[in-house]
Amino acid sequence: MRRIYESNALHRDDEEAHAPSEKERQTKLQALRSVPSSTLSDLLIPRRFRHLPVSVSVETSDDEYEVGEPVPFRVTLRNRLPVPISVPTVSPLLWEWTVDGNVEAAEVPIRDPPDEEGTLSFDRGERKEFRKRWDQLFRVSDSEWEPAGVGSYTIGAAINATNAEERGLTDETTVRIVR
Amino acid sequence: MALLEVKDLTVRFYTQEGVVTAVDDLSYRIERGEKFGVVGESGAGKSVTALSVLRLIDSPGQIESGEILFKGENLLEMSESEIRSIRGDEISMIFQDAQTALNPVYTVGGQIAEAIEHHLDYSSEEAKARTIQLLDRVGIPEAEERFSDYPHEFSGGMQQRAIIAMALSCDPDLIVADEPTTALDVTIEAQILDELRELADEFDTAIQLITHDLGVIAEVCDRVMVMYAGKPVEKAPVEELYYDPKHPYTVGLMSSIPRVNDKRERLQTIPGVMPDLVELPSGCSFHPRCPFAEEKCTRKEPPLTDVESGAEATLDTEHAAACLEYTEGLSQGLTYSVETTGSADGAAAGYVEGDRDE
Repeated sequence: MRRIYESNALHRDDEEAHAPSEKERQTKLQALRSVPSSTLSDLLIPRRFRHLPVSVSVETSDDEYEVGEPVPFRVTLRNRLPVPISVPTVSPLLWEWTVDGNVEAAEVPIRDPPDEEGTLSFDRGERKEFRKRWDQLFRVSDSEWEPAGVGSYTIGAAINATNAEERGLTDETTVRIVR
Repeated sequence: MALLEVKDLTVRFYTQEGVVTAVDDLSYRIERGEKFGVVGESGAGKSVTALSVLRLIDSPGQIESGEILFKGENLLEMSESEIRSIRGDEISMIFQDAQTALNPVYTVGGQIAEAIEHHLDYSSEEAKARTIQLLDRVGIPEAEERFSDYPHEFSGGMQQRAIIAMALSCDPDLIVADEPTTALDVTIEAQILDELRELADEFDTAIQLITHDLGVIAEVCDRVMVMYAGKPVEKAPVEELYYDPKHPYTVGLMSSIPRVNDKRERLQTIPGVMPDLVELPSGCSFHPRCPFAEEKCTRKEPPLTDVESGAEATLDTEHAAACLEYTEGLSQGLTYSVETTGSADGAAAGYVEGDRDE
């Protein structure tokens, strides 16, 4: 098949600024334009090691909050490696936050994720940051909430992987609710 | 037996940011030949509801629970080939954006004829004849010549009509119309709605009409369901919804419709925006925007209730609303008034101002 550069359909000129040049490219390509790095990483890094470069942290802006004042917090999931990583999770629910061990401050199960595996994918060196808010209420039934009283509460976050705590895929911080 | 019964439907999307509950415990029923409207702001879960009926929810979405009974059979338990034989034949869909719904590299006529050949076993000549007849029926001029036009040769209104022709091609029992007139100007919108209504009456087809425009609902529908943050907040026959709205959100939607003879200086709108479906507010999802909200609204989620009896709503309930006023009662009640002016289509609703301590 004849290519466009073999035809005379295109006007080429080295002198004219807006015409394509006649010279051939002198430099070689320095690198592949795109590498399927996520697929390569999945093939090369065994599943049991994929959690190692991943860290979880939970931070609040203050240690103390007044009763009724919403508690904003930041959950950061980070991949420390300069290559993409995908961490297998036990369900499509990739991570969750808790207050005193209650998922999303609910004392009752609020959802039933499907029984299939999920994947939390990180780009190279990626930091995922999620801003959440606990409004100082505990969900005590499907349709009722109760306020948390004065005291200390632990806000935690965990990647929904097997043995997340042992593998260092959890973090927590404590806040005090005061009058 | 009802044509379509959706029971306790819950659809969730598992995203990195968290779990989006797009449709939460939704139930409704559509009878044969009925025009049922679904209304709400963007992000209320209207389109997800429509896509669920055709089982077109894509990953990361999951229909987690519930039943979708079409002529008594659960669509969620059908095999892929069974559901394919229903899509387009018994239930068809008019998509929101006709330009994207049509394939740009096939002729408009070819795309309509394909569905007819596939579902009704017509020969290609018969399918072409029926397609031309349908294009003519939906108001495409010179239908025979336009049969071989490509979608880009049609105007926006004509593309939408072609999509309606495609939806009607196999005489479906139910048409799910997802904002069929959003991208069109008002004159074309009125023509298309008229056509849709006439065609539905002629073929005795039920319509589930999804829109964010209460005016469109008034024009076409028999019954309405108002959705907010993935949940139904009010269900009522269309006249009752207009003359006697029971949920503050419905009242807010209605008072934000501009009217030609309106004497108010500013249009009343609902303050704030729809909450993030990943992190819904506690209690009633509408409480942060509700002018009548009290502390108990932040602590208790109101069930959909029969506004007359206060009992939990069922599929047979005529008029239901999800507000604590109808179960426990709010200490200061819902103090809005509905003013009707002139003809039946001139009803206007608005909050009474200055009657609440903010």
